[in-house]
Amino acid sequence: MADHDRSTIDWEAIERSPEFQELVHRRRAFVIPCTVFFLSWYLGFILLCAYAPDFMGESVYQGLTVGYCLALTQFLMVFVLGLWYLSKADKEFDPLAERAIAAHSDDAPQPGTRRAQEVRS
Amino acid sequence: MTVLAAINVEAVVIFAIVLSITLGVTYWASKRMTGASTFYAAGRQITGLQNGLAISGDYLSAASFLGIAGLIFLYGFDGFLYSIGFLVAFLTVMFLLAERMRNAGKYTIADVLSFRLRERPARTAAALGTLAVAAFYLIAQMVGAGVLIQALVGIDFSIAVALTGAFMLCYVIFGGMLATTWVQIIKAVLLMAGILVMSIFVLETVGFNPIALFDDAEANTTAESTFSLAPGAFLSSPIDTVSLGLALVLGTAGLPHILMRFFTVPNARAARSSVVWAMFFIGGFYLLTTFIGFGARSVMGEAGVEAAGTGGNLAAPNLALELGGGAGTFGGDLFLAVIAGVAFATILAVVAGLVLSASGAVAHDIWSSIIRKGRDSEKEEVVVAKIAAASIGVIAILIAVIGGEGLNVSFMVGLAFAIAASANFPALVLALTWRRFNTVGAVCGVVLGVVSAILLIVVSPKVWPGADSDTGSPIGWTLANPGIVSIPLGFLGCILGTLLSTERANERSFHELYVRSETGLGAEKALH
Repeated sequence: MADHDRSTIDWEAIERSPEFQELVHRRRAFVIPCTVFFLSWYLGFILLCAYAPDFMGESVYQGLTVGYCLALTQFLMVFVLGLWYLSKADKEFDPLAERAIAAHSDDAPQPGTRRAQEVRS
Repeated sequence: MTVLAAINVEAVVIFAIVLSITLGVTYWASKRMTGASTFYAAGRQITGLQNGLAISGDYLSAASFLGIAGLIFLYGFDGFLYSIGFLVAFLTVMFLLAERMRNAGKYTIADVLSFRLRERPARTAAALGTLAVAAFYLIAQMVGAGVLIQALVGIDFSIAVALTGAFMLCYVIFGGMLATTWVQIIKAVLLMAGILVMSIFVLETVGFNPIALFDDAEANTTAESTFSLAPGAFLSSPIDTVSLGLALVLGTAGLPHILMRFFTVPNARAARSSVVWAMFFIGGFYLLTTFIGFGARSVMGEAGVEAAGTGGNLAAPNLALELGGGAGTFGGDLFLAVIAGVAFATILAVVAGLVLSASGAVAHDIWSSIIRKGRDSEKEEVVVAKIAAASIGVIAILIAVIGGEGLNVSFMVGLAFAIAASANFPALVLALTWRRFNTVGAVCGVVLGVVSAILLIVVSPKVWPGADSDTGSPIGWTLANPGIVSIPLGFLGCILGTLLSTERANERSFHELYVRSETGLGAEKALH
């Protein structure tokens, strides 16, 4: 990518561009539900620890408690969401971001980028 | 130098090894110092995997290692609750801030705020948030370092604090972010290796059956024991538990020394992968910590409580001593010395990161942008940053030495997380996502967040353990963790300040910040 001079970039035009709008919408469609989910699952766990300690202390198998099992699901959630976002961003968000930049930066217009977008969607 | 009689020779040798490796790295880094970008951001050439390790090294303090293992040893499940909050927090960092910080920022979190807001007030507010968090966290770590080194090696508290401070300043001043990064990477590897070996030793005592470890731990309690496999043994007030949980999950995303790490990678993609690497290292570490905590309970039982000291901080080193063959044996002393060396490296890496972020707030934000209005040279800024680092370091050493062992470490760490979650986090997230957000909102939010977190901690029962009322607090405030009140107040300050002021947001620079943070167009480049 060429070195862009901040002052010559038409930021508003990029923001209005369909590529950028699609990037933002797709990223939001992934990040917002994920954030709501992880915060709810985490706060649900904390609320159970705070208000239902007896339930959390119940044994699932010998010394393994409900609380410890639910704690392990928090670890699992972090690992799964982390890897999922990573692959989603590599495959989907990064190419969209590149197209948004390429189509509207001060570089020579890159043929094919818009068409590629239309064909794909 | 006053040296106590019971100096631990093995520990001194291991400390010397840790110090010589890190000083070697600092020397190597000092040869590669070229300017502000190297000093604050290691030339933005750190890879995703390296940064993931460095984030782990920056984040996992002695409180995470010895503190959580100790809490699990003393109280069981509640210690684990902290680990969960500390880990899940990285989802907040990943989804909301990591890539955007990399794309929009340069050296400090104030860069992101001042991008679209009026520079002087926005930078001042952000520098206030950064310095408040870094100061409390730094003093807590220094006091912790002094207490631990005194107990583990037998060096006097004040000397231990001064030594820790001197090495921390050495890394930062001569090697900047490049040396700090590698000190953090080395520490992360040592810490992971140490805890892995220790966990294997622990699991070996129960035939590699973790569930038997829980059973043994519970069987090793007496009537007066505080240990429980159920929550509530340590965090007995439900609303306080929720408040703590909130501060942990949002506070990490406002810690300046963690956010600063995202400026050291070449692009948003590396920032993203570094968070996921960090999740696996930190997650794996916290899982193993439970084996150490429950293992300490199962091996040492109630008899080990007194030797574990305040907060159970010495439970893990004592466990190492037992696993190595017991006190007086070569194996026991060696294992104890190794764990002490790991704890020492842990503290050094965290304090170096903290001093670096604080020096950025002073030199880059206050000196270069506010006092000199950007007319200073890059060379001058780096010199000022080094002077700032030295001053901050010396002040922290003095406060830690004068305050002594009596300073309440957990209260200061709690305060640092509360300020980060209530002041830095709301302002950053709103600056990056809310079109209408303006300077008045940012200043109101940061000030309200910092002030409410500090005030609520000052009146909390932890600080007033007197018996003249039920809670000890002079105004009858019962909450020990202010997050549940101060985080909404921080957001409220940002929102009300924005809506009630007549200032018009600078729409043009929001377009630029928005596009830049989402796509990386115009982001700071790596040095080549």
